[in-house]
Amino acid sequence: MEQLTELNFRKFSVNVAYGKKVMTEETKNNAVQPSALQEVLQNVEKPAEVERPPTKSEAIKTPPALPEKSAAGKALLAGSSLGLFLALLTLWLAPVWREWMFAILPESKFAMQLRTTDIKQLQKEAQRLEKRVAGLQKKHAAITPRLPYLIVDTSENLIHVMKAGEQLHEGVCSTGSYVLLRSAAQQRQWMFVTPRGMYQIRGKRVNPVWAKPDWAFIEEGLPVPPLGSPERFEAGVLGEYALELGDGYLIHGTLYKRMLGMPVTHGCVRLGDEDLRLVYKNLQIGSKVFIY
Amino acid sequence: MTRQNLGVALLNRLVKPFRFLRQNRKAKIIFFLSLISFPLFIFIVTVVLPVAQNPFEAAAEDETFENFEALSDSTPAEIATGRLELAKKMAALEIDQAFLQTRLELSKKDSIGLVVDLIDGTANLEVKGVPVRRCKILRYRSSGLARRLRRQGRLHQWLAMPFILQEQLATLPKAPIRIKEAPKDTIEANESKGEDLPIEQRDAHFTLQFDRNLTLAVEQAQPPSFSGRLRELWYDLRRNFNEAREAVTALIYLQLPQHYLWIEIELSREDAKAIYRALPTRAGLALRL
Repeated sequence: MEQLTELNFRKFSVNVAYGKKVMTEETKNNAVQPSALQEVLQNVEKPAEVERPPTKSEAIKTPPALPEKSAAGKALLAGSSLGLFLALLTLWLAPVWREWMFAILPESKFAMQLRTTDIKQLQKEAQRLEKRVAGLQKKHAAITPRLPYLIVDTSENLIHVMKAGEQLHEGVCSTGSYVLLRSAAQQRQWMFVTPRGMYQIRGKRVNPVWAKPDWAFIEEGLPVPPLGSPERFEAGVLGEYALELGDGYLIHGTLYKRMLGMPVTHGCVRLGDEDLRLVYKNLQIGSKVFIY
Repeated sequence: MTRQNLGVALLNRLVKPFRFLRQNRKAKIIFFLSLISFPLFIFIVTVVLPVAQNPFEAAAEDETFENFEALSDSTPAEIATGRLELAKKMAALEIDQAFLQTRLELSKKDSIGLVVDLIDGTANLEVKGVPVRRCKILRYRSSGLARRLRRQGRLHQWLAMPFILQEQLATLPKAPIRIKEAPKDTIEANESKGEDLPIEQRDAHFTLQFDRNLTLAVEQAQPPSFSGRLRELWYDLRRNFNEAREAVTALIYLQLPQHYLWIEIELSREDAKAIYRALPTRAGLALRL
């Protein structure tokens, strides 16, 4: 190998000029001929054959035998890792397994059959049950109000005027916007939601005047006037009528008719003029209002 | 490389770490024991024992039941058939009675309740016993356990009281709250007035977990949007994770995991959304199936 290296250095001396490899005259003359190189290579002594490690495929065919202790440890590790994976899979699928178990397990025949041996007694019991069910149905039907009542759907912003379970009228409304108004200056907050549940009409007003609460000023970026101040009262914004639900919540009209059908209010139920007139006419003080 | 060769190569690669087991019998035994023991333990604890101690059947045990096999030997076939028909009729009536009683019980509460009638195919919202929204169930699936209980005439005992909501999981928020900072002055207030209202188009899939081991899953009938599909995937993962977590928690406290009788109903998106938004955190449910 040394001979070859020396030869290469001598015969392939390279001059670098202007960033290019340039072969000098000397190197051109002394350039190694392929036949000479082969001769040198043949003279190079071949290294003695050493024991080489087995190739991958050979290793698979003939695995080296592990010491017994190490094999047992390795088996435990491999088994428990796979076992843990299977256990997690079993845990994940446990509800499905249980369903299958319930499906394949044997079950007793129709257990109701076993109650009594006497068919007449069974028939009597069935009649008693029928009467009881009919009684319960009557009792449940009696819950539905006989007088007209109102259902407010806050999800789709619709109203349904009902009477004895039958719909008299369906209309569009606006309900709470779910806006949480925060005033950093006053350290107060208001949530504009229409409350759900059963309410009753507590009062009916014609040409109502709106007594503006604090949030109405804060939302407009205005200073809050003192209670009872004339600035707090505004006529003509609630429509022709207002029906009180309690806790300051009203069913009233609106100036913003294009907003009907959208959740934009501060908690009240806003109706269009026609719907408001119909609701006002049909609902009396004490009439029920169901909001969901 | 052909597909077959690729398969063989892959198999070789998978089997390779276990080749040392070939020559060692002791290692082989250790491997199989460690492989089987943990999954077997989990299977017994989470599957076999909960089925063996079935809470539904245990609650419905009735001492007045006699041995049918002994009876049928001594009774003519026609009488037995007549009795079977009568018994089925009675079972249906008992379920009706339990359902109505539950609805009456629900009507005593102030909160909004859910009434699911799988026989009529309706899911209604009721306030104080008055139906406020009637939703049509488009499709439903239920646990095999329900059919098993029905065949045994024991379903009515389980349905006789309102189910109370314990946990809920959904693809949509319970309330679409938007936070708005109060404007500093009228100029800022006027600027914010022009903002458009966000239109909510969330898909509605939710699971309600009630007491007495009942799970009600509600799916919307409309196919979900792309983002809705992702949200649904996340929701499914959370649901499965919750089930597994519950089982693990039970095991930690040396208890058996609970098996839930599940019902899955399909409603329109609007109905599903309205029901989910309307139900309070401890809502009651009346069920007929």
